[in-house]
Amino acid sequence: MKTSLYIDNHSVVHHLHPTLKIFALFAAFWSIYWIDNPLTLVPFIAAEFVVAYAIGAGPNVYRFRWFFVLIVLPTMITWMISYRKGTPIINLPIIHASKQSILFGLGKGMKVAALVLASVLFLSSTKVEELSVGLSRLGFPYRFGFTITLAFRLVPLFIDSALTVVDAQRLRGYDFDAGGPFERVRRYVPVIIPVFMGALRKANNMAMALEARGFGRGNDPTSFIEYRMHTRDAEAFVLLLAVGTVAFMLYWTGYGSIPGASIHS
Amino acid sequence: MKIETPIIGGPSASGIDEPAVRIEELTFTYAGGREPALRGINASQRVGEMIGVMGASGAGKSTLAKVLNRIIPELEGGEFAGVVMLGGRSIAQAQVRDLAGEVGMVFQDFESQLFSTTVAHEVAFAMERVGMPREEILARLAPALDAVGLRGFEERDPTTLSGGQKQRLAIASVLALRPRVVVLDEPTTDLDPQGRAEVFALIRQLRQEGISLIVIEHEAEELRQCDRIIILRDGAIVAEGTPAMVMPQVELLEECGVNAPSLDRVARMLGIARHPGSVADAEEHIRKMLPRTPPSDAVSGREVGALVESKPILEIEAVRFGYPEGPRVLDDISLTIRAGEFVAIVGQNGSGKTTLAKMAVGLLAPDSGQVLLEGRDRTKLRPAETAREIGYVFQNPDHQIFADTVEAEVKFGPRNFGLDDREVESRCAEVLAAVALENERATDPFLLGKGQRQRLAVASVLALRPRLLILDEPTTGLDYREQRKMMKLVSELNAAGVAIVMITHTPCLVAEYARRVILLRAGRKLFDGRVREFFIQDELLRTSSFKPPEVTSLGRRFGTVALSAAELVEYLQGRAR
Repeated sequence: MKTSLYIDNHSVVHHLHPTLKIFALFAAFWSIYWIDNPLTLVPFIAAEFVVAYAIGAGPNVYRFRWFFVLIVLPTMITWMISYRKGTPIINLPIIHASKQSILFGLGKGMKVAALVLASVLFLSSTKVEELSVGLSRLGFPYRFGFTITLAFRLVPLFIDSALTVVDAQRLRGYDFDAGGPFERVRRYVPVIIPVFMGALRKANNMAMALEARGFGRGNDPTSFIEYRMHTRDAEAFVLLLAVGTVAFMLYWTGYGSIPGASIHS
Repeated sequence: MKIETPIIGGPSASGIDEPAVRIEELTFTYAGGREPALRGINASQRVGEMIGVMGASGAGKSTLAKVLNRIIPELEGGEFAGVVMLGGRSIAQAQVRDLAGEVGMVFQDFESQLFSTTVAHEVAFAMERVGMPREEILARLAPALDAVGLRGFEERDPTTLSGGQKQRLAIASVLALRPRVVVLDEPTTDLDPQGRAEVFALIRQLRQEGISLIVIEHEAEELRQCDRIIILRDGAIVAEGTPAMVMPQVELLEECGVNAPSLDRVARMLGIARHPGSVADAEEHIRKMLPRTPPSDAVSGREVGALVESKPILEIEAVRFGYPEGPRVLDDISLTIRAGEFVAIVGQNGSGKTTLAKMAVGLLAPDSGQVLLEGRDRTKLRPAETAREIGYVFQNPDHQIFADTVEAEVKFGPRNFGLDDREVESRCAEVLAAVALENERATDPFLLGKGQRQRLAVASVLALRPRLLILDEPTTGLDYREQRKMMKLVSELNAAGVAIVMITHTPCLVAEYARRVILLRAGRKLFDGRVREFFIQDELLRTSSFKPPEVTSLGRRFGTVALSAAELVEYLQGRAR
């Protein structure tokens, strides 16, 4: 099973310097953060789809389709019914819906989707080794970067292990769906324990294998791939700065917010 | 260019004519351990020598390996005494990471030793960690990949490689550092026959290239090519010498929990004193001793244990299945499992064995075709509803064990079905006795050995009293003694009327225990028939990388299809009279 999101393509984005890619992710988060208005978010999300097409990340976006639905829909609905500003269309003790609350909920949902999409694009075009190199160049300790890269490798393994454990317990007649919400959480104990014990064992084996390959011998390991800044990186940097600035200006001038519905107001 | 300076101290030596490894009076007891894991070990390895280390689980094999690069006592502490020298210099002051360039260590669990997203990154990993210049890394990359036959795979994601390729990649990544000695700790345990063949071919090649190798293995047959064999028992060396000296000591090997080569068993039973180095060698010895044995071109075989014609339990009809966005895993599979049968399912990893088993127990539904359980459509039943009809024991017992005690683990299943306490207790006592764990009722399952945990997993499924038991590689990772215990248990269950379907990669288990074999390849059923018929399908076996047991190959040279050493000896003696 392929466990990383990385898609081996040769797009311009793939060839950007790892540090620049991390900056691009930051710039995407920065830009999306300032905008609440769904209409203003549209060009940003459209730009993300253009990038997704350019780097060939379509399969990964498709892979995450249910994740988008599961994250975005509840966010939208929660904000729509709990945001209490604007002239009410529906006004009940718990549920309140107005034009502003609907737009605000929609905007929040789109923001979450845009943030997740940015992360998917980043991981589709960046090897975990590049992430480690990029973080090192930004001044983060080497071990920090490596720990993050290792997490990316381990999480899918643990998910795989958890799915197997669920199957094993189900085959012994265990019903994970019985009871109310709290009971259901408690019923996952027969899954958590084997996965946790397996994770401990794997972590122990991995620690031995890492040390045996010289991990930790000096804090400045070399890299067999040479990462150099190119003109394209400078161009991308300028473009990202411009996008970030425009996003902030949209917020500053009020075009990024929903009239009469900003939580900052 | 000097790449690195090993941080190993002790008396200065040039390394020339010094042993690659020397161990003197080594004793080690794990922290909290009652007995020493290693006792008074004295051993050495010449440069370019290949040493095989064998012994039961817990005999001290892996402990000995970990001592060589200071994992013991650095990472796994305890009471350590003795001297370990590499190239004539003591490593007492070195840290594990400092010895990366001296001792290349390859572990059994290949998943835990791959850290990178491409093959090239993986091979470069250790070189980068020791601070090797980029040019040197690039210069070593291609030869290391060449050595393990993975040239051209540089950009592949290691997680997409087969088990054998992953293990070869792990070997490449340690070879790239050009270590003084390469230690392989049961490197093929988790591999299918193809993967095992790949890794042992690589080991043979490395030996020819003069690399000092230490190979820890359960299967003695694979270590025949070693220069020297060391047998460990309870942390001490009990036998040491060339394969010709050690392998014929069948009784000693068995006492030490090692599966003696079947050719040596045959030789021993026939009173032949010499160690047969190969099937051809064994044939020659036997022909000298028993000149009236028949010529080698005939193929016959007595069929014993005819295929069962009882009532079907499980019927799989024209089943096709593929995972979403993946290739077809099962392609038009039809088969019937009847009450009381003992069926082995064999085939490479990815051939569809486990998918087929999951379909049988209802964890997966077919894209087309149907699965019938005692005549009822299986897809209309939930997995829990069929757990009492078909039990499924996963390959890794740790995927299901969670309870505080052995007893609670066994009672978990029956309780899920709402059985009353008396019935639950009765079943618990019954199955614990069956798996010989009745004295471990109050023990924490995580304190049991791997073999005991595997038997506990079987017990916890048996407590539901299934009529068909599917075991997915039930002997993986078990030593010979534990393998025998497990298979004795499975045989007894079968004799008591439980139908058995065993997914396995081990030819001798198929030969000795199964009565019917199903061979899968790329989701298609290529063979379904008696065991003896299976072992004469030379072309099919070759293309499936499924090597018959050596005793079967030897028997073929005398015109029979023998499934065990005893059977072959009986046949030969009968013909020679």
